[in-house]
Amino acid sequence: MSTSKSNVHAHKAEIFCKDESRVDWHSKALWMLREKRDRAAGSLPEWEQLRQIGSEMKLHTLTHLTEYLEEFEKNCTANNIKVHWAKDGAEHNKIVHQILAKHQVKKVVKSKSMLTEECHMNPYLEDRGIEVIDTDLGERIIQLAKMPPSHIVVPAIHMKKEEVGDLFHEKLGTDAGASDPLYLTRAARRHLREQFLSADAAMTGVNMAVADKGAVVVCTNEGNADMGANLPKLQLHSMGIDKVVPDLDSAAVLLRTLARNATGQPITTYSSFYRGPQQGGEMHVIIVDNGRTEMLKDKILAESLKCIRCGGCLNTCPVYRRSGGYSYNYTIPGPIGIAVGAQNDDTNSIPWACTLCGSCSYVCPTKVPLDKIIHHHRRLKSEAGKLPYGKSSYMPLVGKFMASETALNCSMGIARTALKILPGSVLKPFSGAWGKYRELPVAPNSSFEAWFKKNRG
Amino acid sequence: MSSKQDIFNALKSAAITPQAMPCIDIAPRIDDLVGQFEASLNTVAGTLHRDGGLSALQTTVDEHIAKGMQIISMVDGIIGNREVSDTAHELKDIDYAVIPGDLGIAENGAIWVNNKSLGHRVTPFICENLLLVIEAKSIVANMHQAAKLMTLAPGEFGTYIAGPSKTADIEQALVVGAHGACSLNVYLT
Ligand code: SF4
Repeated sequence: MSTSKSNVHAHKAEIFCKDESRVDWHSKALWMLREKRDRAAGSLPEWEQLRQIGSEMKLHTLTHLTEYLEEFEKNCTANNIKVHWAKDGAEHNKIVHQILAKHQVKKVVKSKSMLTEECHMNPYLEDRGIEVIDTDLGERIIQLAKMPPSHIVVPAIHMKKEEVGDLFHEKLGTDAGASDPLYLTRAARRHLREQFLSADAAMTGVNMAVADKGAVVVCTNEGNADMGANLPKLQLHSMGIDKVVPDLDSAAVLLRTLARNATGQPITTYSSFYRGPQQGGEMHVIIVDNGRTEMLKDKILAESLKCIRCGGCLNTCPVYRRSGGYSYNYTIPGPIGIAVGAQNDDTNSIPWACTLCGSCSYVCPTKVPLDKIIHHHRRLKSEAGKLPYGKSSYMPLVGKFMASETALNCSMGIARTALKILPGSVLKPFSGAWGKYRELPVAPNSSFEAWFKKNRG
Repeated sequence: MSSKQDIFNALKSAAITPQAMPCIDIAPRIDDLVGQFEASLNTVAGTLHRDGGLSALQTTVDEHIAKGMQIISMVDGIIGNREVSDTAHELKDIDYAVIPGDLGIAENGAIWVNNKSLGHRVTPFICENLLLVIEAKSIVANMHQAAKLMTLAPGEFGTYIAGPSKTADIEQALVVGAHGACSLNVYLT
């Protein structure tokens, strides 16, 4: 496939960066979440212990997936839950459609599920005459605006309240010019209550699937998953194979870190356990692979499946905060988006949307080694001869140049002299994209090598 | 071949070395459980009523009824003015639901509620306001202890409720009352 410049991360980020005040505002909003996360983590003396247990428990389940998935299915069946298996997004969508068609469903209320986004389920169902209403407020906002999510936990974080106000005025009939979050949220509450009460089926993602109980756990702050699933008689839950955990105690470990790491809350408002359908109802669970077993074949990439989708790594990432969710060419942005999406990125640019600062790995509640995975993706891209636009032409030369001591020392000497005697305006063009938002460095008096020889050698 | 079999076959070539299940052994903080619970409940925007127990709750319920509110009670000894309806949808105009909680969790202010005491599963979500009742002696320190005590028999539904429903999806401004209850008051017995 051709690598068009317009899709590479740097170019898309540049579009986002045009409005500097918006970038600052975006970065600050996310940093606030990071600070709340730090306070929540800091208030638990056992925080590091929980991260360690979370990581080991996820690794344990990932290395025993066959057993746990088998156990989960067996117990679900005993609880009157119907289990389906899907190799990929297409099969997932087909299964969902078959279930809905059998019940002549016209309207589904859905609560946030990155997996259904990953499978592009909404357009698939809409093409077949089924209305899909996203019910998480942030998701509903972007659905009305016909945009994809820009963050995995706060999907409309990139929008200003005035923009939401205009959108609601147009779509929900709120007062023109109104932008008060309380007023707008109340309007959405009324609008979505009508949807919950008139839906024929509900669909949710799954935060954890408890193997020994045959139960799925769904966490929300708004209560939309539960308003959805507990009104119509038909409920569907989509989960990746990586969502299974052995038992209630392991689910408890993740419940303790998930919300704390996402928004700094001690736990989400609702953590619901469904161990069977409501009376007279039907409950289906669809277990999806969609590339996960492929990732498990690579020792380093496999660890990205420990992720519990808290969004913590996005909030702390200096690149995500300043380039926005839409610059990643993937449904999941930020560090975890690179980890799980880089393989399918035709522009081969997203593994470079990272400074390798490691902040993401440091905050992750299950110790996903994100920086290591991202670095590994760069290697995979380069080994496959797929360096991103621009880099493929000069990186091999840089390699040769850096490998030659004489060439390096000689040119560094020239650079130091140039920085001292030439004005910045003459030199800046040579620094390329790097120098666009940076001042040129002050030149040191001598090279490190010379300094080392004199002082330590 | 079935998709399940395909997935299981693919799992055979997984590259990571099998890892043992870690031991989950975290020391609980057991000092002043009620005090811890109250503080946590406050951070999730709920309110604890420590004194007066069920009679204080009945007084509140009576006041609401006098104002014309619709109240459903699932707690023995508390009398509302609405019965459990045939369909869940009929609960859409409930102003207050009074529900018994099984466990309170000190570390996060959550309360475990099981569907056996809900009438319809949707009751705690569809009501405008929620009144939960828990026994002081059912407050445990953390989620690990709760995991051992929570009731979830085959076929059942249960939920940890921590405060009223809330959202911060519009410019990160916290708004209490999204799709679920707009307020949560907890009565201790
Ligand atoms: S990788 Fe870690 S920090 Fe990032 S979303 Fe997943 S669990 Fe959260």
